[in-house]
Amino acid sequence: MTARRLTRDALLTAVALILFTAEAQIPAPVPVPGVKLGLSNIVNAWAVCRIGAWDALAILLCRVFLGALFAGHMMVLFYSLSGGLLSLCALLILRRVTDESQLWICSVFAAIAHNAGQIAAAVLITRSLAVLAYFPFLVVSGAITGLFTGLCAQFLVSRRLS
Amino acid sequence: MKKPRVRTRTWVAALAAILGVCVLWILWAPRKPSMIADIYSDGKLLRRVDLNRVKTAERYVVEYYGESNTILIEPGRICVESADCPDQICVMEGWLPGFGLPIVCLPHNLLIQIEDGAP
Repeated sequence: MTARRLTRDALLTAVALILFTAEAQIPAPVPVPGVKLGLSNIVNAWAVCRIGAWDALAILLCRVFLGALFAGHMMVLFYSLSGGLLSLCALLILRRVTDESQLWICSVFAAIAHNAGQIAAAVLITRSLAVLAYFPFLVVSGAITGLFTGLCAQFLVSRRLS
Repeated sequence: MKKPRVRTRTWVAALAAILGVCVLWILWAPRKPSMIADIYSDGKLLRRVDLNRVKTAERYVVEYYGESNTILIEPGRICVESADCPDQICVMEGWLPGFGLPIVCLPHNLLIQIEDGAP
């Protein structure tokens, strides 16, 4: 791990954390648990596209643990960890079958995967299948927010930052 | 610019199919006609309320590691009246039985649902 790599990853983690924390201040727009903008997904998608799988994983894990710490609720940890890992898997797999100009599509599917991971965690934590009723709502919201964050990442990638 | 391996059109069609399934799922989700509400905390059934037999409004506080949700039980309906969680989603979810969705408070692991017929 060179100093350059460490600095770059730390910087990206900081950016993701800022987005995550700022977003947590926005009141929920709809009464569906788990619906959020997912702005830190921009950093994820960019890292997967521009840096590589391991660095993206490191950034994600640091962001999830520190984000849960800053949010003050350890429940946040389980939901963002399960969602984050699943969405990273989706990004890495889709990255292999899409081109760079299609990053926004990867992001849409990654957002849906994130919500699937969250619902899976919710089923395990509440020990009830009742929360599955929220799944279709989360998929629709995930597609919309994933499109937004995906387009943001797409523009960043197109601008050829180092 | 070279041609993508899988065309964007194909991806968008796949996405539209997924969204279509979800919309159908939302429209055709089973509605439960029962009026018995179950209150779960941390996966354990705390209380079962027959909403038809409630005569007077009642507040029921569920504690979770020092934080709490105040549940309001009225004749024929139930909701979370207030909570000290940051997101307040459980309060916004409104009354049960409503649209058919359960009331969930994820930070406090609280779940209120219309029971599914089993005694």
